[in-house]
Amino acid sequence: MRFRTNVDNVAGFYRIVQALAQLQKKFVMKFTETAMFIVCSSDINEGGMQVWTNIKVSTLFVDYRIQSNANNEIGMTVSTEALLTTLRSACSPNSNNNSILTNTEVIMRLAKKNDRAVLSFEIIGQSRSSRDMRIVQDVRIEMMRQQELDKLREPMCPEPDIHIMLPPLTKLRTVMERLRSQSDIIRVQANKAGRLDFAVSTDSIAIEVCWTGLQAPTFGKRASQAQNQSQSESQGESQEEQEDEASQSAAKERMCGVLVNVKSIMKFLQSHVVCSSTIAGICQRHCLILYVYIGDAADAGGILTFYIPAIMDDDP
Amino acid sequence: MNAQPEPGQQNLKHILVYASMNDVQYLAGMLRGINFAARAGVLITKSGMVVTVEDARTLLGTAYIFAEVFDDFKFDETHGTPSQTQQTQDPDVKLEPRPRKEVSFEIPLATLVDCLNIFGTNPAKEVEKKPRFHRLGASAIDEEDQQREGGPHQREQAGRGDQHSRGPNVTGVRITYVGPGHPLEFTMNDPTDGALATVELTTFDPEPALELPFDSDRTVLKIILKSSWLRDALSELDTSSEKLTIIGNPAPPPGRAQRGSAPRLRLKAVGTFGSTEMDYPNDREVLETCECDDVVNFSYSFKHIVKAVKALQISTKTSLRIDEQGLLSMQFLMPEPKTRGGGPGDAFIEFRCLPLEEGFP
Repeated sequence: MRFRTNVDNVAGFYRIVQALAQLQKKFVMKFTETAMFIVCSSDINEGGMQVWTNIKVSTLFVDYRIQSNANNEIGMTVSTEALLTTLRSACSPNSNNNSILTNTEVIMRLAKKNDRAVLSFEIIGQSRSSRDMRIVQDVRIEMMRQQELDKLREPMCPEPDIHIMLPPLTKLRTVMERLRSQSDIIRVQANKAGRLDFAVSTDSIAIEVCWTGLQAPTFGKRASQAQNQSQSESQGESQEEQEDEASQSAAKERMCGVLVNVKSIMKFLQSHVVCSSTIAGICQRHCLILYVYIGDAADAGGILTFYIPAIMDDDP
Repeated sequence: MNAQPEPGQQNLKHILVYASMNDVQYLAGMLRGINFAARAGVLITKSGMVVTVEDARTLLGTAYIFAEVFDDFKFDETHGTPSQTQQTQDPDVKLEPRPRKEVSFEIPLATLVDCLNIFGTNPAKEVEKKPRFHRLGASAIDEEDQQREGGPHQREQAGRGDQHSRGPNVTGVRITYVGPGHPLEFTMNDPTDGALATVELTTFDPEPALELPFDSDRTVLKIILKSSWLRDALSELDTSSEKLTIIGNPAPPPGRAQRGSAPRLRLKAVGTFGSTEMDYPNDREVLETCECDDVVNFSYSFKHIVKAVKALQISTKTSLRIDEQGLLSMQFLMPEPKTRGGGPGDAFIEFRCLPLEEGFP
């Protein structure tokens, strides 16, 4: 089993781990030939929230070499905090001037030290007095067997009723901070016309914050359905078309909503450090799925997927 | 897409109170000044809005927000038709179909103050805090004046500056109240991305309010001074102090040297760890007005007086009066909102506080 790579984008790696750090003490990392996966799916998470991360190798690494008996895949569990601290020392993300070393090169490799499996980070660079320095940090890991890895399954979800682009996450965070102090449960609603609502309500107050004019993209099956529809429409009669249009605009305005835990949303919003664009998928009475894209949405270097289960309410 | 749906004319007919303000921070600031109790009583008449909070039946904080402070303020006096009043629980109202002069209710104040900043305090504020030397249009003179009178008190000036020089990107607020039994509704829009927040605040039937009538004919001490002078003094004092004594002395007889005479105003704080005394000199720069014919000495609970610090922070001038019974009245004059030309409509906050027992002669 061999694994060695040059970490090209240390800051990016750091931010991804930072986005997940509040969720769990330990998470699962799986490396394949093309991608790095990070999974937070512990049962103890607030309200059963899960995060599945899929990062292309090229986003973070260069000179990437991996070899194993199991399809060239390697799985492990890592302490979130240890990994975060190591990456923080490897890069000083906010102010480059303050970092101890300059011109750093970071190499991550799988190693065995004192009969313990570790992820070893070798940080090579120049100190302020331009002397060469080498720092090695070992993060203890537990290797996972193939069967264990196979047991991890991404949550099964129906096709979301609606997809919508979220406003900037930092902005959303300010609003959510206020809503959080009022209630534990929040209602998230959206329609295809590009309207997004967040609402809380208690005995003493009801707050609704809404954005309009957001993009509501269509994906997967829906997109192909819509395409078929438009094709058949063009062949159909004009009367039918009109009726169809009316029902379509009504469908466009229809709000799809889900109730979720505010704390889960706050944890998701921690990912504002990595994000450029975020799309929310709402499966009514089932869950809220949030896709955080790293880099451009069209050519994403990776994606963080947050699954937040719905809280069931007796209200219709 | 119109992100800010205006209420139609028909809807307006059924609305008892409608008010709007183009910068929510002004309202939020005033309410924060009296934000020391969970619930507040609200009284609305056609001349404005009065928000009252009390603590321990001793301290009364009142914010007077006059209609002129709002950009738009409507109170529908004809709103009391029998069909509408039937819904109210107050039997008195049902019997009187005559025009409504006022409406009062209670609201959860702390919750409201929290929610008024739902889009965060304005990011422009950070920049505007620094004194600016270039201003557009006629307001340049106004700014100059401010800087001159601000003088050495940079902090006060900064506090006022951001009230005056906001850019167009401020959060506006619209307040509507349909009538008794309905929630008080606040609608705020964020111009940067068109987000719209609607806050519906449950209103409660009013409780009998505490009244502390101030006998202005029997005022024994009257002082007007800049709020910053009092704010700095109060924030210097040890927070564990138990009581604050306000001592006023009459003016020294003319002709005598000022040096040895007693200070016109002295604040004395006593706590577990000792006592602190602060003297204000008899100087027009410090005490703009000081009327005091006899020695005045009254003590107040420190924890009550210190609640005025937030109101002091946002106000410009303070009028401090004590009557024969020792009732303290502090009125804090708010800077005028950016859009207004000042005048009699300037909003203010008043604190009234009963003295501690031993203060009585």
